[in-house]
Amino acid sequence: MSHVSRTTRLRKGLRCFETLALLFLAIPLLLSGRKSSAQSRNSEPPVRVSSNVAWTDETISFASSGNAFRGLLIARRCNRCHGEEGFSSVAAFPNLAGEDQLSFWKQMQDFRSGKRISPVMQGIGNGLTARDSADLAAYYSMLPTASDSQDNRAFPHVMQDPSRARIAIRLIVFGDGQRGIPPCQSCHGPVAYVKGAPPLATQNGGYLQEQLEHFANGYRTNDINVRMRSIARQLTEDEKTAVSEYYGAGLGPGVNPR
Amino acid sequence: MKKKIGFVAAMTLVGLAILSTRFYEVDLPVWHFLGGGKGPDPATLHLRGEFVESNLGAAEGPVGSLTVRMIAQQFVFVPQCIVVPAGVPVHFRITSADAVHMLSFLGTDYGLKALPGVVTESSFTFDKPGKFKIPCHEFCGAGHYAMRGQLEVVPRDQFASLLPGERRTCEPR
Repeated sequence: MSHVSRTTRLRKGLRCFETLALLFLAIPLLLSGRKSSAQSRNSEPPVRVSSNVAWTDETISFASSGNAFRGLLIARRCNRCHGEEGFSSVAAFPNLAGEDQLSFWKQMQDFRSGKRISPVMQGIGNGLTARDSADLAAYYSMLPTASDSQDNRAFPHVMQDPSRARIAIRLIVFGDGQRGIPPCQSCHGPVAYVKGAPPLATQNGGYLQEQLEHFANGYRTNDINVRMRSIARQLTEDEKTAVSEYYGAGLGPGVNPR
Repeated sequence: MKKKIGFVAAMTLVGLAILSTRFYEVDLPVWHFLGGGKGPDPATLHLRGEFVESNLGAAEGPVGSLTVRMIAQQFVFVPQCIVVPAGVPVHFRITSADAVHMLSFLGTDYGLKALPGVVTESSFTFDKPGKFKIPCHEFCGAGHYAMRGQLEVVPRDQFASLLPGERRTCEPR
Protein backbone atom coordinates (compact mmCIF):
# COMPACT_ATOMS: atom_id res chain seq x y z
CA MET A 1 0.00 0.00 0.00
CA SER A 2 2.64 2.40 1.05
CA HIS A 3 4.85 1.29 -1.90
CA VAL A 4 2.10 1.97 -4.50
CA SER A 5 1.26 5.35 -3.06
CA ARG A 6 4.93 6.30 -3.14
CA THR A 7 5.28 5.45 -6.88
CA THR A 8 2.09 7.33 -7.76
CA ARG A 9 3.34 10.27 -5.77
CA LEU A 10 6.64 10.07 -7.62
CA ARG A 11 4.86 9.93 -10.98
CA LYS A 12 2.70 12.87 -10.05
CA GLY A 13 5.79 14.76 -9.00
CA LEU A 14 7.52 13.95 -12.28
CA ARG A 15 4.55 15.08 -14.31
CA CYS A 16 4.39 18.25 -12.27
CA PHE A 17 8.10 18.80 -12.90
CA GLU A 18 7.67 18.18 -16.63
CA THR A 19 4.87 20.69 -16.99
CA LEU A 20 6.81 23.26 -15.01
CA ALA A 21 9.92 22.72 -17.12
CA LEU A 22 7.91 23.06 -20.32
CA LEU A 23 6.38 26.26 -19.04
CA PHE A 24 9.78 27.70 -18.16
CA LEU A 25 11.08 26.77 -21.61
CA ALA A 26 8.01 28.16 -23.33
CA ILE A 27 7.91 31.55 -21.63
CA PRO A 28 11.19 32.95 -22.99
CA LEU A 29 10.39 31.49 -26.42
CA LEU A 30 7.01 33.20 -26.45
CA LEU A 31 8.52 36.47 -25.26
CA SER A 32 11.27 36.41 -27.87
CA GLY A 33 8.71 35.68 -30.57
CA ARG A 34 6.63 38.65 -29.50
CA LYS A 35 9.69 40.91 -29.43
CA SER A 36 10.82 39.99 -32.94
CA SER A 37 7.33 40.49 -34.34
CA ALA A 38 7.17 43.91 -32.68
CA GLN A 39 10.50 44.87 -34.20
CA SER A 40 9.44 43.95 -37.70
CA ARG A 41 6.12 45.76 -37.42
CA ASN A 42 7.24 49.29 -36.63
CA SER A 43 9.89 51.03 -38.67
CA GLU A 44 12.00 52.56 -35.92
CA PRO A 45 15.68 52.97 -36.76
CA PRO A 46 18.01 50.78 -34.72
CA VAL A 47 18.97 52.51 -31.48
CA ARG A 48 22.54 53.76 -31.54
CA VAL A 49 24.07 54.57 -28.16
CA SER A 50 27.21 56.70 -28.21
CA SER A 51 28.49 55.81 -24.76
CA ASN A 52 27.23 53.74 -21.85
CA VAL A 53 28.42 56.38 -19.39
CA ALA A 54 25.82 58.92 -18.26
CA TRP A 55 26.58 61.76 -15.85
CA THR A 56 24.20 60.76 -13.10
CA ASP A 57 25.06 61.73 -9.52
CA GLU A 58 26.26 58.21 -8.64
CA THR A 59 28.57 58.03 -11.66
CA ILE A 60 30.05 61.44 -10.93
CA SER A 61 30.72 60.66 -7.28
CA PHE A 62 32.20 57.25 -8.18
CA ALA A 63 34.46 58.58 -10.92
CA SER A 64 35.75 61.45 -8.84
CA SER A 65 36.45 59.54 -5.62
CA GLY A 66 39.53 57.56 -6.71
CA ASN A 67 42.54 56.82 -4.53
CA ALA A 68 45.47 58.70 -6.03
CA PHE A 69 48.13 56.57 -4.30
CA ARG A 70 46.67 53.36 -5.66
CA GLY A 71 46.50 55.15 -9.00
CA LEU A 72 50.22 55.91 -8.76
CA LEU A 73 50.98 52.20 -8.41
CA ILE A 74 48.77 51.22 -11.35
CA ALA A 75 50.15 54.06 -13.47
CA ARG A 76 53.55 52.37 -13.67
CA ARG A 77 52.06 50.26 -16.45
CA CYS A 78 51.07 53.39 -18.38
CA ASN A 79 54.46 55.12 -18.14
CA ARG A 80 55.98 53.55 -21.20
CA CYS A 81 53.56 55.19 -23.62
CA HIS A 82 52.14 58.11 -21.67
CA GLY A 83 55.37 59.26 -20.05
CA GLU A 84 56.61 59.07 -16.48
CA GLU A 85 55.19 62.46 -15.61
CA GLY A 86 52.16 62.14 -17.84
CA PHE A 87 53.78 63.72 -20.90
CA SER A 88 54.02 61.41 -23.85
CA SER A 89 56.95 61.65 -26.27
CA VAL A 90 55.00 60.07 -29.15
CA ALA A 91 52.50 62.29 -30.99
CA ALA A 92 49.87 59.57 -31.28
CA PHE A 93 49.57 59.10 -27.50
CA PRO A 94 47.78 61.71 -25.38
CA ASN A 95 49.38 63.54 -22.46
CA LEU A 96 47.66 62.52 -19.25
CA ALA A 97 49.12 65.05 -16.80
CA GLY A 98 46.40 67.28 -15.37
CA GLU A 99 43.71 65.24 -17.10
CA ASP A 100 40.15 65.85 -15.96
CA GLN A 101 38.94 63.01 -13.69
CA LEU A 102 35.50 62.55 -15.22
CA SER A 103 36.86 62.73 -18.74
CA PHE A 104 39.61 60.18 -18.05
CA TRP A 105 37.20 57.77 -16.37
CA LYS A 106 34.66 58.01 -19.17
CA GLN A 107 37.23 57.31 -21.87
CA MET A 108 38.47 54.23 -19.98
CA GLN A 109 34.91 52.90 -19.70
CA ASP A 110 34.33 53.54 -23.38
CA PHE A 111 37.53 51.69 -24.28
CA ARG A 112 36.36 48.74 -22.20
CA SER A 113 32.90 48.64 -23.75
CA GLY A 114 34.26 49.17 -27.27
CA LYS A 115 32.33 52.42 -27.70
CA ARG A 116 35.63 54.12 -28.43
CA ILE A 117 37.63 52.01 -30.83
CA SER A 118 41.27 51.46 -29.99
CA PRO A 119 42.84 48.00 -30.34
CA VAL A 120 45.59 48.86 -27.85
CA MET A 121 43.53 50.62 -25.21
CA GLN A 122 40.67 48.11 -25.32
CA GLY A 123 43.01 45.35 -24.23
CA ILE A 124 44.49 47.49 -21.47
CA GLY A 125 41.08 48.75 -20.38
CA ASN A 126 39.77 45.19 -20.06
CA GLY A 127 42.47 44.51 -17.49
CA LEU A 128 41.33 47.40 -15.30
CA THR A 129 38.17 47.60 -13.23
CA ALA A 130 36.02 50.72 -12.98
CA ARG A 131 37.58 51.33 -9.56
CA ASP A 132 41.11 51.11 -11.05
CA SER A 133 40.16 53.70 -13.65
CA ALA A 134 38.86 56.03 -10.96
CA ASP A 135 42.15 55.64 -9.03
CA LEU A 136 44.18 56.35 -12.16
CA ALA A 137 42.01 59.37 -12.88
CA ALA A 138 42.68 60.72 -9.40
CA TYR A 139 46.44 60.23 -9.86
CA TYR A 140 46.72 61.80 -13.32
CA SER A 141 44.53 64.75 -12.39
CA MET A 142 47.06 65.57 -9.64
CA LEU A 143 50.13 65.60 -11.89
CA PRO A 144 51.38 69.14 -12.59
CA THR A 145 50.85 70.32 -16.16
CA ALA A 146 53.95 72.51 -16.37
CA SER A 147 56.82 71.26 -14.30
CA ASP A 148 59.75 73.63 -14.55
CA SER A 149 60.91 76.37 -16.86
CA GLN A 150 64.00 74.51 -18.12
CA ASP A 151 61.97 71.46 -18.95
CA ASN A 152 60.38 71.57 -22.38
CA ARG A 153 59.23 67.95 -22.57
CA ALA A 154 55.66 69.19 -22.29
CA PHE A 155 55.68 71.03 -25.60
CA PRO A 156 58.34 69.57 -27.86
CA HIS A 157 56.91 71.07 -31.04
CA VAL A 158 56.76 74.71 -32.01
CA MET A 159 54.13 76.04 -34.33
CA GLN A 160 55.20 75.33 -37.92
CA ASP A 161 53.25 78.07 -39.64
CA PRO A 162 52.72 81.19 -37.50
CA SER A 163 50.05 82.52 -39.87
CA ARG A 164 47.84 79.65 -38.73
CA ALA A 165 47.94 81.06 -35.20
CA ARG A 166 45.34 83.67 -36.14
CA ILE A 167 42.90 81.00 -37.31
CA ALA A 168 43.50 79.01 -34.15
CA ILE A 169 43.06 81.85 -31.68
CA ARG A 170 39.86 82.94 -33.42
CA LEU A 171 38.36 79.48 -33.05
CA ILE A 172 39.62 78.91 -29.51
CA VAL A 173 38.50 82.25 -28.13
CA PHE A 174 35.54 83.26 -30.30
CA GLY A 175 34.43 80.20 -32.25
CA ASP A 176 32.49 80.83 -35.42
CA GLY A 177 28.91 81.92 -34.85
CA GLN A 178 28.01 81.84 -38.53
CA ARG A 179 28.63 78.11 -38.73
CA GLY A 180 27.56 77.32 -35.19
CA ILE A 181 31.02 76.45 -33.91
CA PRO A 182 31.33 77.35 -30.24
CA PRO A 183 34.72 78.51 -28.92
CA CYS A 184 36.94 75.64 -27.70
CA GLN A 185 37.62 77.39 -24.41
CA SER A 186 33.96 77.52 -23.42
CA CYS A 187 33.96 73.75 -22.77
CA HIS A 188 37.63 72.71 -22.61
CA GLY A 189 38.72 75.48 -20.27
CA PRO A 190 39.97 77.73 -18.90
CA VAL A 191 36.82 79.83 -19.31
CA ALA A 192 34.39 77.02 -18.52
CA TYR A 193 34.24 73.23 -18.45
CA VAL A 194 31.35 70.95 -19.26
CA LYS A 195 31.17 67.49 -17.73
CA GLY A 196 33.46 65.05 -19.50
CA ALA A 197 35.34 67.64 -21.53
CA PRO A 198 39.12 67.30 -21.08
CA PRO A 199 41.34 70.36 -20.67
CA LEU A 200 43.31 70.91 -23.87
CA ALA A 201 45.92 73.42 -22.77
CA THR A 202 48.70 70.81 -22.39
CA GLN A 203 47.51 68.23 -24.85
CA ASN A 204 49.61 66.66 -27.57
CA GLY A 205 49.12 68.39 -30.95
CA GLY A 206 49.37 65.26 -33.07
CA TYR A 207 46.87 63.45 -30.87
CA LEU A 208 44.40 66.36 -31.03
CA GLN A 209 44.50 66.50 -34.80
CA GLU A 210 43.94 62.76 -35.09
CA GLN A 211 40.94 62.90 -32.76
CA LEU A 212 39.40 65.88 -34.61
CA GLU A 213 39.68 63.92 -37.84
CA HIS A 214 38.19 60.83 -36.25
CA PHE A 215 35.25 62.85 -34.93
CA ALA A 216 34.72 64.44 -38.34
CA ASN A 217 34.79 61.22 -40.35
CA GLY A 218 32.71 59.28 -37.84
CA TYR A 219 35.42 56.86 -36.72
CA ARG A 220 35.13 58.07 -33.14
CA THR A 221 31.52 58.27 -31.98
CA ASN A 222 31.65 58.16 -28.18
CA ASP A 223 30.75 61.81 -27.54
CA ILE A 224 27.47 62.08 -25.67
CA ASN A 225 24.66 63.64 -27.77
CA VAL A 226 26.85 64.13 -30.90
CA ARG A 227 28.53 67.18 -29.43
CA MET A 228 32.09 66.97 -30.80
CA ARG A 229 31.02 65.25 -33.99
CA SER A 230 28.76 68.13 -35.03
CA ILE A 231 31.56 70.61 -34.34
CA ALA A 232 34.40 68.67 -35.98
CA ARG A 233 32.33 68.05 -39.13
CA GLN A 234 32.22 71.79 -39.76
CA LEU A 235 35.94 72.44 -39.37
CA THR A 236 38.12 72.66 -42.45
CA GLU A 237 41.42 70.75 -42.69
CA ASP A 238 43.31 73.99 -42.19
CA GLU A 239 41.37 74.82 -39.04
CA LYS A 240 41.90 71.36 -37.54
CA THR A 241 45.64 71.63 -38.11
CA ALA A 242 45.77 75.18 -36.79
CA VAL A 243 43.93 74.45 -33.54
CA SER A 244 45.90 71.26 -32.81
CA GLU A 245 49.25 72.86 -33.55
CA TYR A 246 48.39 75.86 -31.43
CA TYR A 247 47.46 73.75 -28.42
CA GLY A 248 50.34 71.38 -29.10
CA ALA A 249 52.87 74.21 -29.02
CA GLY A 250 51.67 75.24 -25.56
CA LEU A 251 50.20 78.53 -26.72
CA GLY A 252 46.61 77.76 -25.76
CA PRO A 253 44.90 79.67 -22.97
CA GLY A 254 45.22 78.11 -19.53
CA VAL A 255 48.89 77.14 -19.68
CA ASN A 256 50.94 78.21 -16.69
CA PRO A 257 53.53 80.81 -17.73
CA ARG A 258 56.87 79.13 -18.22
CA MET B 1 -12.20 103.43 -4.40
CA LYS B 2 -12.78 103.68 -8.12
CA LYS B 3 -9.12 104.51 -8.60
CA LYS B 4 -8.15 101.41 -6.63
CA ILE B 5 -10.38 99.14 -8.70
CA GLY B 6 -9.03 100.68 -11.86
CA PHE B 7 -5.46 100.11 -10.69
CA VAL B 8 -6.12 96.47 -9.79
CA ALA B 9 -7.83 95.90 -13.12
CA ALA B 10 -4.91 97.46 -14.97
CA MET B 11 -2.38 95.35 -13.08
CA THR B 12 -4.40 92.19 -13.80
CA LEU B 13 -4.46 93.09 -17.48
CA VAL B 14 -0.69 93.61 -17.49
CA GLY B 15 -0.21 90.31 -15.70
CA LEU B 16 -2.44 88.52 -18.17
CA ALA B 17 -0.59 90.11 -21.07
CA ILE B 18 2.77 88.92 -19.69
CA LEU B 19 1.42 85.43 -19.00
CA SER B 20 -0.10 85.09 -22.45
CA THR B 21 3.11 86.12 -24.19
CA ARG B 22 5.08 83.72 -21.99
CA PHE B 23 2.76 80.88 -22.85
CA TYR B 24 2.85 81.72 -26.51
CA GLU B 25 6.61 81.69 -26.43
CA VAL B 26 7.07 78.55 -24.38
CA ASP B 27 3.97 76.66 -25.46
CA LEU B 28 4.09 74.40 -22.43
CA PRO B 29 1.10 72.31 -21.51
CA VAL B 30 -0.12 73.29 -18.07
CA TRP B 31 0.26 69.76 -16.69
CA HIS B 32 4.03 70.18 -16.76
CA PHE B 33 3.63 72.68 -13.95
CA LEU B 34 1.09 70.56 -12.10
CA GLY B 35 2.65 67.12 -12.52
CA GLY B 36 6.29 67.87 -13.11
CA GLY B 37 9.27 65.53 -13.26
CA LYS B 38 7.77 63.28 -15.90
CA GLY B 39 10.07 64.36 -18.69
CA PRO B 40 13.25 62.60 -19.70
CA ASP B 41 16.29 62.71 -17.42
CA PRO B 42 18.75 65.18 -19.02
CA ALA B 43 21.71 63.01 -17.98
CA THR B 44 20.53 59.84 -19.74
CA LEU B 45 19.05 61.24 -22.94
CA HIS B 46 21.59 59.34 -25.03
CA LEU B 47 20.90 55.96 -23.41
CA ARG B 48 17.15 55.46 -23.76
CA GLY B 49 13.94 57.12 -24.78
CA GLU B 50 13.01 59.11 -27.85
CA PHE B 51 16.07 61.37 -27.78
CA VAL B 52 18.74 58.75 -28.54
CA GLU B 53 21.00 60.04 -31.27
CA SER B 54 19.63 57.66 -33.93
CA ASN B 55 16.12 59.06 -33.42
CA LEU B 56 16.89 62.78 -33.80
CA GLY B 57 15.77 64.73 -36.83
CA ALA B 58 12.60 64.78 -38.90
CA ALA B 59 10.52 61.62 -38.62
CA GLU B 60 7.42 60.85 -40.63
CA GLY B 61 4.58 59.70 -38.41
CA PRO B 62 1.32 58.09 -39.46
CA VAL B 63 -0.94 59.99 -41.91
CA GLY B 64 1.79 62.24 -43.23
CA SER B 65 2.48 64.06 -39.99
CA LEU B 66 6.02 65.24 -39.43
CA THR B 67 7.80 65.27 -36.06
CA VAL B 68 11.16 66.95 -35.52
CA ARG B 69 13.10 65.86 -32.44
CA MET B 70 16.00 67.99 -31.27
CA ILE B 71 18.31 68.32 -28.29
CA ALA B 72 19.69 71.68 -27.23
CA GLN B 73 22.88 71.48 -25.22
CA GLN B 74 25.92 73.59 -24.36
CA PHE B 75 26.75 74.82 -27.05
CA VAL B 76 25.33 73.02 -30.07
CA PHE B 77 21.92 71.96 -31.28
CA VAL B 78 21.61 68.34 -32.31
CA PRO B 79 20.99 67.88 -35.16
CA GLN B 80 22.63 71.12 -36.11
CA CYS B 81 20.82 71.33 -39.44
CA ILE B 82 17.21 70.24 -39.84
CA VAL B 83 15.20 70.03 -43.04
CA VAL B 84 11.39 70.31 -43.27
CA PRO B 85 8.88 70.70 -46.13
CA ALA B 86 7.11 74.02 -46.75
CA GLY B 87 3.41 74.42 -46.06
CA VAL B 88 3.14 71.37 -43.82
CA PRO B 89 2.62 71.65 -40.08
CA VAL B 90 5.80 70.56 -38.37
CA HIS B 91 5.53 69.14 -34.88
CA PHE B 92 8.56 69.91 -32.74
CA ARG B 93 9.61 67.86 -29.72
CA ILE B 94 12.54 69.51 -28.02
CA THR B 95 14.44 69.02 -24.78
CA SER B 96 17.66 70.23 -23.24
CA ALA B 97 20.57 68.20 -21.91
CA ASP B 98 21.84 70.83 -19.46
CA ALA B 99 20.82 74.48 -19.18
CA VAL B 100 17.78 76.37 -20.48
CA HIS B 101 18.10 77.18 -24.18
CA MET B 102 15.80 78.77 -26.69
CA LEU B 103 15.47 78.28 -30.42
CA SER B 104 14.41 81.38 -32.27
CA PHE B 105 13.89 80.93 -35.98
CA LEU B 106 15.30 84.13 -37.51
CA GLY B 107 12.95 85.54 -40.12
CA THR B 108 9.83 84.14 -38.50
CA ASP B 109 8.01 85.10 -35.32
CA TYR B 110 8.45 81.63 -33.95
CA GLY B 111 10.48 80.51 -30.97
CA LEU B 112 10.76 77.51 -28.71
CA LYS B 113 12.22 77.10 -25.28
CA ALA B 114 14.23 73.99 -24.43
CA LEU B 115 14.20 73.08 -20.75
CA PRO B 116 16.08 70.24 -19.06
CA GLY B 117 13.75 67.46 -17.97
CA VAL B 118 10.83 68.78 -20.01
CA VAL B 119 9.76 67.99 -23.56
CA THR B 120 8.59 71.18 -25.22
CA GLU B 121 5.98 70.44 -27.86
CA SER B 122 4.78 72.83 -30.50
CA SER B 123 3.63 72.93 -34.11
CA PHE B 124 4.47 75.47 -36.76
CA THR B 125 3.99 75.75 -40.51
CA PHE B 126 6.78 77.31 -42.55
CA ASP B 127 5.11 78.85 -45.59
CA LYS B 128 7.99 79.68 -47.88
CA PRO B 129 11.10 77.66 -48.72
CA GLY B 130 14.34 79.12 -47.46
CA LYS B 131 17.10 78.84 -44.94
CA PHE B 132 16.65 80.05 -41.39
CA LYS B 133 19.32 80.49 -38.76
CA ILE B 134 18.37 79.23 -35.32
CA PRO B 135 20.40 81.16 -32.76
CA CYS B 136 20.10 80.22 -29.11
CA HIS B 137 17.99 82.97 -27.58
CA GLU B 138 18.51 82.27 -23.89
CA PHE B 139 21.86 82.84 -22.24
CA CYS B 140 23.20 79.34 -21.58
CA GLY B 141 26.89 79.79 -20.79
CA ALA B 142 30.28 80.84 -22.12
CA GLY B 143 29.73 79.70 -25.71
CA HIS B 144 26.14 80.94 -25.94
CA TYR B 145 26.71 83.56 -28.63
CA ALA B 146 28.19 81.01 -31.04
CA MET B 147 25.41 78.47 -30.53
CA ARG B 148 23.52 78.36 -33.76
CA GLY B 149 21.57 75.79 -35.73
CA GLN B 150 20.11 75.89 -39.18
CA LEU B 151 16.68 75.11 -40.62
CA GLU B 152 16.17 74.39 -44.29
CA VAL B 153 12.63 74.65 -45.61
CA VAL B 154 12.37 72.92 -48.98
CA PRO B 155 9.37 72.72 -51.37
CA ARG B 156 6.99 69.94 -50.48
CA ASP B 157 7.61 67.85 -53.59
CA GLN B 158 11.35 68.17 -53.13
CA PHE B 159 11.13 66.80 -49.63
CA ALA B 160 11.48 63.21 -50.71
CA SER B 161 9.35 60.78 -48.80
CA LEU B 162 11.26 59.29 -45.94
CA LEU B 163 12.37 55.73 -46.14
CA PRO B 164 10.74 53.82 -43.32
CA GLY B 165 13.00 53.91 -40.32
CA GLU B 166 14.95 56.95 -41.45
CA ARG B 167 15.42 60.27 -39.72
CA ARG B 168 16.01 63.25 -41.93
CA THR B 169 18.60 65.97 -41.27
CA CYS B 170 20.81 68.11 -43.48
CA GLU B 171 24.02 67.48 -41.56
CA PRO B 172 27.15 67.20 -43.67
CA ARG B 173 28.24 63.56 -43.80
